[in-house]
Amino acid sequence: MIEVRAIEKVYRGGGGLLSQRAVKALRGVSLTLKDGEAISLIGESGCGKTTLGRIIAGLETYSQGELVFDGTPLSQVPPGDRPQWFHRVQLVQQDPYGALNPARTLGNALVDPLKLQAKHLGKDATWTRERARELLNLVGLDPEATLYKYPHNLSGGQRQRFVVARALTVDPKVLVADEAVSMIDVSLRLGILSLLSDLRVRLGISVIFITHDVAAARYVARDGVICVIYRGEIVEYGRTDDIIRSPVHPYTQALLSAMPVLRGLEKPGPDRFIPSQDLDTQAQDEAGCLFRSRCRFATERCGREHPNLVALDGGERLHACFYPQARDVVPVPVG
Amino acid sequence: MGSVAVEPAQASALDRDVACRVRGLTVTYKVDNRELSALRDVDLDIRQGQITAVIGESGSGKSTLALALMNAVSKPGRIAAGKVTYRDLGEVTAMDSERLRRARGRSLSMVFQASQNSLNPLTRVGAQLLDLARSHDMRDPRAVLREAAALAERMSLDADRVLTSYQHQLSGGMRQRVGIIFGLVLKPQVLLLDEPTTALDVLSQSSVLEIVRSIQRERQLTTVLITHDMGVVAELADRVVVLYAGRVVEEAPTTELIRHPRHPYTRALIQAIPRLTGDPSLARPLEGQPPSLAAIPTTGCVFRGRCPHRMEVCETSTPGISQVSDTDHRYACHWEGAAND
Amino acid sequence: MSAAVIFPPDQAPTTARNPSLATIAWRALTRKSGRIIGVLILLFFISMAIFGPMLYPKQLPINGANLYAPPSWAHPLGTDFEGTGVLAEIVTGSRYVLSAAALAALFTIAVGTFMGIVSGYFLGLTDNIIMRITDFILTIPGFPLLIVLSTIWSFGSPIAMGVVLGLTGWGGLARAVRSQTLSLRERGFIEAARGLGLSNGHIIGREILPNIAPYIAMNLLLSVTGAIYAEVGLFFLGVIPFQANNWGVMLNLAFGNGAMYTPQSLLYMISPMACIMLVTFGIVLTLDALDEILNPRLREG
Repeated sequence: MIEVRAIEKVYRGGGGLLSQRAVKALRGVSLTLKDGEAISLIGESGCGKTTLGRIIAGLETYSQGELVFDGTPLSQVPPGDRPQWFHRVQLVQQDPYGALNPARTLGNALVDPLKLQAKHLGKDATWTRERARELLNLVGLDPEATLYKYPHNLSGGQRQRFVVARALTVDPKVLVADEAVSMIDVSLRLGILSLLSDLRVRLGISVIFITHDVAAARYVARDGVICVIYRGEIVEYGRTDDIIRSPVHPYTQALLSAMPVLRGLEKPGPDRFIPSQDLDTQAQDEAGCLFRSRCRFATERCGREHPNLVALDGGERLHACFYPQARDVVPVPVG
Repeated sequence: MGSVAVEPAQASALDRDVACRVRGLTVTYKVDNRELSALRDVDLDIRQGQITAVIGESGSGKSTLALALMNAVSKPGRIAAGKVTYRDLGEVTAMDSERLRRARGRSLSMVFQASQNSLNPLTRVGAQLLDLARSHDMRDPRAVLREAAALAERMSLDADRVLTSYQHQLSGGMRQRVGIIFGLVLKPQVLLLDEPTTALDVLSQSSVLEIVRSIQRERQLTTVLITHDMGVVAELADRVVVLYAGRVVEEAPTTELIRHPRHPYTRALIQAIPRLTGDPSLARPLEGQPPSLAAIPTTGCVFRGRCPHRMEVCETSTPGISQVSDTDHRYACHWEGAAND
Repeated sequence: MSAAVIFPPDQAPTTARNPSLATIAWRALTRKSGRIIGVLILLFFISMAIFGPMLYPKQLPINGANLYAPPSWAHPLGTDFEGTGVLAEIVTGSRYVLSAAALAALFTIAVGTFMGIVSGYFLGLTDNIIMRITDFILTIPGFPLLIVLSTIWSFGSPIAMGVVLGLTGWGGLARAVRSQTLSLRERGFIEAARGLGLSNGHIIGREILPNIAPYIAMNLLLSVTGAIYAEVGLFFLGVIPFQANNWGVMLNLAFGNGAMYTPQSLLYMISPMACIMLVTFGIVLTLDALDEILNPRLREG
């Protein structure tokens, strides 16, 4: 189980020596991920979802807050042991082209971490070889056709499968998939998404799926939760079905509205709207709701007060809006 | 609905509603002294004032088709056979390089993927627009700049800021809109959009699609949309052409194609889209990979390697074009089931 | 999800293992005739440097009656101002020139690559220290230093010459390798290797090094030719009191003894120059193959 407790991340930079401006990537995010659970983090580019994933994978530090693995806070782990500790969380990167070393065979890329694991478990070289084949089969790649190849011999979809296999070499408990399908043809995306859900069910691995594509988020976390992030804050959180069926935060509704409608099979939801303004990542911090300037329903109160994350109707659904209201923005199936 | 086999349409004088006619287009690439076909015998009509989408996976030949439509296939590729004829320009496949240069960017304009950085990183956007105007001998380059500013305002961009910016100062969504401004500013007759929203997040994508849609409607602009994303097709296109391994396997009006796909590939493609409605576990991944250029079968059906309905005849005979009766829905498949919804 | 994957014909499962390095090298070399010529040229000069001097007496004979003789069976490249065979001088002189150059190049490559990778990968204090040393090395004017050093050092042995050339030459390479490492460092596969717990030694040796190997190979060429030019230049200028025979000394003596003014001595002057050119040419041709051997993408073209 992983707990993220009020994590904040501030980047220093921009401006000259005197006007050092801090950019807040995360503003106190808290989350709990149970073993074997799937959670989708959704939001547009620059909302902080990638930063959060990288922090959980130990690839980035945080400024405030605490990360707790199975009840042990990271701050109580000696710094020397931390890398070891983070092995249980493996990141599947967005770019399957950059994630593999072009100068080495795929076999080597898989066997290297396996050798470490073999040493750790007291296994021999035969185990390493068999395990490599087993993992490739698991992700739907033919071992004999893969092991002796170089990354450039594989298509984007095959590479991403391979990256997943490599992440599995260290027996992780959590996979963080950061936009793992956005660089792959739409036709092949579902294959990767179903691989992720399949691994979760078969191996009991938790999956943190980071995306801007709500339909993909729904597919991976269909029996899990969706967490909507806007400018470093959670603005809505709940069971996937609830979030998709009755989103209450205008930002969630904007994300859902933006999804293409498969005309012919679906028609636009009655409340669908197209948000026009882009996210201004350079925007200054302001009092009140951060989404206010793009929100169609903002009132004078939204400019004055900051809405905190609260439970909806006392349930486990959370939202950060003064005027939560479910709207039908999701496409409606026809005939 | 039943189906009848039809002869492929003959090249003739262009009808009023056809802006561009492609007949028998074959593009080959020379690899290791072998001529490999990236496009094979492609017939296509691009309707005047409509958005025609070409959908295909990586390696389907869709980008090659975009280049061939401008006769811009470069070595080691070449147009080995076929004609591309525009109603207003004539046959681009028979033009000399100077006439082509004038046509491209002016009458035919192409918008590239934002991530491909088609802007010069060292020059401001406004200066590049002026260069574009001059290279097409516009009498009043300033007017082009004014037109660009007007387009920018249409796209809810700050025109002054955008025109004085360098590429790196723009976000992905802004860059794509600037790309579209470049595509539209000289008032082309045909606009080609190559993966206009790939690499954008959903919010940027939906606003870019909205912009394209409204400007296209307003100007009745003939548009060709090249993409791998059925969602983008569904949002924008009037007609869809499905390309697989260099061949057109199905062609229909968009809603008809999505509602009643005929070809097994199109069916699989639509089933493989994660959706917001319906039972997510009903979505089926499309198995396998599209063949590489060297592995495209030269006889028989190109899709048979991944087809759940493959038969013996698929190995030996290239499927002809069938037409769904009384519609302009065409597909190329031997399987009898393809005739039914 | 079903694990069944249909493979298109070109990706059909093969059990063929990857070819060994020797096979890859052989294929790359024989792909273009120029590469074979390059290797033959290099082999020729290397064997000349190793075995050539054994064919001649330690002190080459002088013959006052046969000055600036035209080519003959006894002296295929004619004779010099003392009547010594030019071919004999070329052959016996090759060992010094080539071994010093090889030593200098190896030293440059080894130190430059190591310093560059370590600096670019670890960053921080390590980087600061190494880069300050590198900057110091870069500010040393190499050629004048050699001239100064030669006043206290005779450079009779090629080892001394090679070490000095190497010591002053690695700065540029280290800087270039560092910047390459910095950009590789940001690539996903390096991050993945770290996330998987692979050691720094592994990441440097197995992940980063193979990616900059083609670049280093290119630098090998520049180092070898640079070292040859530097040492030949030194001897040619005559700033080094030479004992040993080598190509630079030959050029110096040729000029010093009026070779410029007698057309008969043309061969005496041209021969060492031609050798230097041939060696450079051989290296260029061979490196073309080396790039392909080290880059899996080029291998299949």
